[in-house]
Formats: sequence, structure tokens, C-alpha cells
Amino acid sequence: MSDIKEISPENLAAFGIIGGLLGIYLSPLFPPYTSIFGALGAICAVIWGAEAVRRVAKYGLGTGVPSIGQIAMGMGIIAAMFGLAIMKSVTKDPRAIYAGPVLALVTASIIGFVIGWFAQNVIKMKIPVMVRCMTEIAASGALIIIGYSAAVAGNYDFMGSLILKVFDNGVILAVFWVGAMAMLHPFNACLGPDEKQKRLLYLAASTGAITMAVMGIAAIMTLGPMGVVTLVIGVILWLIFYKKFWDEVYKDAASVVGTGLIPKTEA
Amino acid sequence: MVVFATTTLIDILLIGLSGTLICLAVHFIPVGGAPAAMAQATGIGTGTVELAAGSGLVGLITSSYMYAYEPKAAMLLVMAAGAMGAAIMLASTMLAGGLIYAYGVAVPFASAQVKKDPITGERQDNYVSKGTQGQGIPTICFVSGVVGAALGGAGGGLIYFVLMQYYTPLIAGSAAAVAGVFTMGVFYVNSVIPSYGVGGTIEGVHDPKFRRVVPKDVFTSVIVSMLCGVVAILIAGGMV
Repeated sequence: MSDIKEISPENLAAFGIIGGLLGIYLSPLFPPYTSIFGALGAICAVIWGAEAVRRVAKYGLGTGVPSIGQIAMGMGIIAAMFGLAIMKSVTKDPRAIYAGPVLALVTASIIGFVIGWFAQNVIKMKIPVMVRCMTEIAASGALIIIGYSAAVAGNYDFMGSLILKVFDNGVILAVFWVGAMAMLHPFNACLGPDEKQKRLLYLAASTGAITMAVMGIAAIMTLGPMGVVTLVIGVILWLIFYKKFWDEVYKDAASVVGTGLIPKTEA
Repeated sequence: MVVFATTTLIDILLIGLSGTLICLAVHFIPVGGAPAAMAQATGIGTGTVELAAGSGLVGLITSSYMYAYEPKAAMLLVMAAGAMGAAIMLASTMLAGGLIYAYGVAVPFASAQVKKDPITGERQDNYVSKGTQGQGIPTICFVSGVVGAALGGAGGGLIYFVLMQYYTPLIAGSAAAVAGVFTMGVFYVNSVIPSYGVGGTIEGVHDPKFRRVVPKDVFTSVIVSMLCGVVAILIAGGMV
């Protein structure tokens, strides 16, 4: 394993945070055409989150990989709602809304840090990367929630449009669940002795893209024709990254042979 | 900014309490995980989070239904509605699972953790197959599971009730969605934390693991849920 060059966690975290925030901040620029950037930002966060899940779940959580995806979204959604809503109570300045996504990221990191610290020191899970990974997972969870929500609502204004276009019609449940799947599935599918980072990252990009397609369907309801664009680009990205994942699987396999059908009579 | 009055503090404590109820609920539910799915351990054959959250979310639906049709309902009534929904959900899961274990897999229900079932007094160890950790869902596990689900549902109902008091005056029509989603978030956090504590499987209240892990899991849950409570009430400040 060690002879394979892996992308460092720091670089992936930077990719997730910068890509995620950039996508989210670009989403309300020219409504509704730029809403698609929210989903693209969320895909960056999915890739980061899936890699963080990989690092912590490698130690064996005892409860299966899905549990960590669910706690990530649990923490993420609490932090996202807090971050996006809180600025309105501090100042009446309409520009305060720009602080929302960053605040959500910081809040998620704090919640993740607290839970990771307790898991490590009170529940005594004995996983050395627990605190760091829990922080990263929570932060990427918050970016995933805001990113996909922005792709559906067109922007990230909590009171103005997220409540009306994402919460009231129940799309948030799809964001929550499909987002959690996007994050936990890559490691859940790839885990094992021959697990490789590159293969997992391609799968993470493909699950992120298929989530984007689902959000496109939801966006048809809220944003009209722009949703179709999100849907189509999501499907195209999914095909590209799934093909890349497929190629990696073939490359990593010892050999790919056709075995034919099982013989009818025993020799 | 929301002023931190005494009632606010009480509400934060109530959210902390409800998170604790959910955390406690997970320990009561007989979770067998993958071994139980192969009838090699006592309990229901799926993960802690799936069972706790599955029953808890049904509890959330029943309690919110109660709240929607009786907005002046007392807190206990909303909690009871949640407890009923969750308990019915888990009891039917265990009944269906039990039918499959008994008539499909054909295993005798036995617990490997106790010699005699504390409720029926039946011997258990004679019926545990060699090399397994018990099979199926014995009476004590079933009762423990129903009690646990009721606790979880009551906890979910309690958070929902507290949050609705804050959000309804501010965003009348959308309050249910926002409070429901927030409750779901708290629910997942509080059902994953104890599942790390129990390490994936627990038989229920009679399991020796129960006494060992409950204190530290509950302590963690109280702190984390109160943190969530503070966050939830601050969100209300941003809704004006």
C-alpha cells in the first residue's frame, strides 16, 4: 500500500473546502442559471467527506460504515441551519448573508470536534484519527447539505428561499439521505484489503454526480427548466466518473477473465 | 438575539433530556447486527442506527401528527404519541423478524447473556447453538426493545414539542418542517453515539454490557444534545 502515492488529507480538505464554498457562493450569482454551481461545490465536499470516512472507518467502527455517514449528515444539518440562520439575529445588514456558509462550516467543525473528542476520550473508541476525521466529516456534511440545497433553491438564503423551496416540500429529506449515501457509499463499497484511494475518489465523484442528478429532478419542481440542466449535467458527470471508477476496478483486479457458464454435468 | 431567560434554560435542558432518552433507547433495543442476520446472535439482524432511527422517526411522525391536530396538547401527550408510534413500529419489526427466525430459519429463541430469562424464567443456555451468541428474539429482548423504542419516540416527541414552541410564532407554516428536520439531525447524532459505545451489538437491558456502557454514553449524549439545544434556540433568533 505504501508504495502507492496518495493525495494527502490536507490537499483533499483544501479541495473540499475551497471547491465547496466557491460553488455555494457562485450559486446565487445569476439566478437561476448558476444554481448548478451549488451541486458542483457539493461534489467537491462529497469527495473530501468520502476520503475522511475512509480514513476513520479503516479502523473498524463496530457499527458499519453507514453510521458515520448518518452522523455526518445529522451534525451537518444542525450546523447548516444554524450557520445560515444566525447572522440575521446579529445584524440587520443584508450583506450578512454572505457569512452563512462559512459560519456553517465553522459550527459543523466545532460540533464534529466535540463529538469526536467525546468518542475518543469518554466512550474510548481508541481510534487515533477520530477527532480530526469527525471534524472533517461534520464540516463536509454541512457543505454537502448547503451545496445541494442551493442547487435546488437557487441560493442559500435560509429564510428567503431554503425554507420555502427545500424544507416545506420535503426535498431536504432527499438532500439528507442521498447526500449521506453519496458520502458513505464509496468506502462502504470499496473497503477491504486491496482498497485504493484513487478508486474510492472516482466512486465518490460518481456518487456525488448521481446525487446532483437527483437534485436536478427536485430542481425541476422549484426552478423549472434549469433543473433539467442540473439533471443532464449530473448524469453526464456520473457517466464519466463511473467509467473512470470502472477502469480503476479493472486495473486493480488481478485479472479479468470470462469463466463461461457453469458446466451442466460434473466432470 | 434570543434572551437567555430561565424558560430558555429549561428548554435547553429539555432538549438535553430528550437526546438522553434517545441515547438510552438505543441500549434497550436488541441489536444483533450482521451476526443476527445469520441467526448467530440474539437480536434483530440490522444495525443500531437503523433500528433506533427507524423507530424514532415513526415516533416523530406520530407525535407531530398529534401536535398538528391538537396544537394545545400537553407536552406529555405529544411524548406519549411518539412513544406509541415508535413502540408499535419496533414491536412489528420484531414480530415479523421473530416469525422469520422461528419458521424460516428454524432456530429456538435463546439469549446467550443470561442463564434464565428474567421474565419467563425459562432456561436459555440449553438452547444456544454451539459457536453462536444465541438466536432470535427471546421474551426479555422483545420487552426491552418495546420499552426502548417507547423511550426513543418520547425523546423525539419532546424535542419536536420544544422546538415548535419556538418556531411556530416566527414561521407559522414552515415550523413543522424546520423543527422536524432539526429533530432528525439530533436523532441521528444521538443514535450513532451510543452505537459506538455498545460496539455494534447489544441484547437489551439484561446484557452485562448495558451497565458498563450506559453511564459514559448518557454523559456524552447530555452534553452533545444540550449543545444542539443551544444551537436550535439560537436559530430561532435568526427567523425574525
